[in-house]
Amino acid sequence: MSELRARLNRRPWLVVPVALFGLLAAAAAAAATAAATAAAADAATAAAGSIGVGIQAGPVSLKTAAHPGGSYQLPAVYVVNTGTQDESVLLKIDRISPGHGRTVPPSWVHVSASPVRLSHNQSASLPLQLSVPATAKPGRYFSDVVAHGSGQIAAGQANLGVAAATSLDFTVAPGAVSSPWFRLPAWWLPALGGLIVLGAAAFFFRVSGFRVRIERRAAPGDVPEGQEHADVT
Amino acid sequence: MSRSWKLAAVLLPGLLVAGCGFGQSTTQPNGKAASLNLSLKTVPNVRSITVTPVKATFGNCAGGKQGNNTASTGSRLGYPNGICWVGETDPIGVYPIKITNTGIASFVYINGSSAAPSDGGNGWSLCNLGRDPATTCNGSRHRAPGIDQYVVKNFSPTGRPDFSGLSGTPECDREFGQRGRCWAGLGASQTEGFELIGPFATTDNASTNWTMTITWTPVPTDGS
Repeated sequence: MSELRARLNRRPWLVVPVALFGLLAAAAAAAATAAATAAAADAATAAAGSIGVGIQAGPVSLKTAAHPGGSYQLPAVYVVNTGTQDESVLLKIDRISPGHGRTVPPSWVHVSASPVRLSHNQSASLPLQLSVPATAKPGRYFSDVVAHGSGQIAAGQANLGVAAATSLDFTVAPGAVSSPWFRLPAWWLPALGGLIVLGAAAFFFRVSGFRVRIERRAAPGDVPEGQEHADVT
Repeated sequence: MSRSWKLAAVLLPGLLVAGCGFGQSTTQPNGKAASLNLSLKTVPNVRSITVTPVKATFGNCAGGKQGNNTASTGSRLGYPNGICWVGETDPIGVYPIKITNTGIASFVYINGSSAAPSDGGNGWSLCNLGRDPATTCNGSRHRAPGIDQYVVKNFSPTGRPDFSGLSGTPECDREFGQRGRCWAGLGASQTEGFELIGPFATTDNASTNWTMTITWTPVPTDGS
């Protein structure tokens, strides 16, 4: 450093270019540091990605009134992964939004295909089955179908989660589920089928003329029939 | 020739002629039929939300009791009632978590969860401060979490800090929308941070790692 000072003392015209060079070097170093910081931040964001989930906006409704003891197929619910990471989407029945009507007990609604694994922007339609117990009170029922994304992003020790909700509503009308006056038990159809097969086999056997003759042969030493008492007298 | 043969001889040519007539009627007319295919795009009809943390971790921890060697240090929460932050409130203002409504206009709800220790021991449940708390905090004069309780408050640049804290039930995220009505249109986003107030004491003395989940949910109605 002292050598540089001595040289500059000897050649004063060198002060300006040296100062300019120093300024340029400092500016370049600052820009490089800023770029590295920004790149690191971008990389961190990209590595973390985002989580997201979506559900159909239209409510899930039953067009006809349900009856106690009845079972009904509800319209399938559309769900989509709006995040950048793969995630499982789980449907739950949970009353979040305060609408009017009785709360739908979650046990009444069965989601067969949940959870479903979805990649970025992938969607699925999940069927719902409504089973109204025989003891259900009549009236309007309301709740939310909530799609929970399993993907979680850590924020320190806190996980960040996402969910999306849509309405579920239906009406339970008084009276048991309608049924015909005459109902056959579930086993009657296979039993009828079996009888038809047996009848067809018997008919074919008879028509074919095929005969099976069953006779009893006397074993050696056997007494012929009717002579069992012949030697007694 | 019998009568039936005569009848057949009369009917057969008649049927042939009739068949020819049907054949002629199916030929194309000179003018060509034209059709126009139309396509229509509709707006998305999905309710969805996306969460993106930029750089989120608990830090700036403070509080606790130095005399007991349980004071907070850096990113470690101390006892009793240590405080840690994800981000910083004004005037510095760091809000590391970005929540975006990527679907149709909806009300954005938020909820927390109990804190679970890594060893599966006793967790911490959420409690609330202020008037009409969903779950009362059992700490000093109900102004701080008690044993195995904790408070999470969210904040944003809107300057409407959540004094009572999150609960386990989804509730309107007052950081969203005008006048805190949590209404968010398509593409509306909010950046948020958190303040965590720890328990007075923990019954799980072995665990030093705790996890909790904060969830945002867009819902169709606020009930009003």
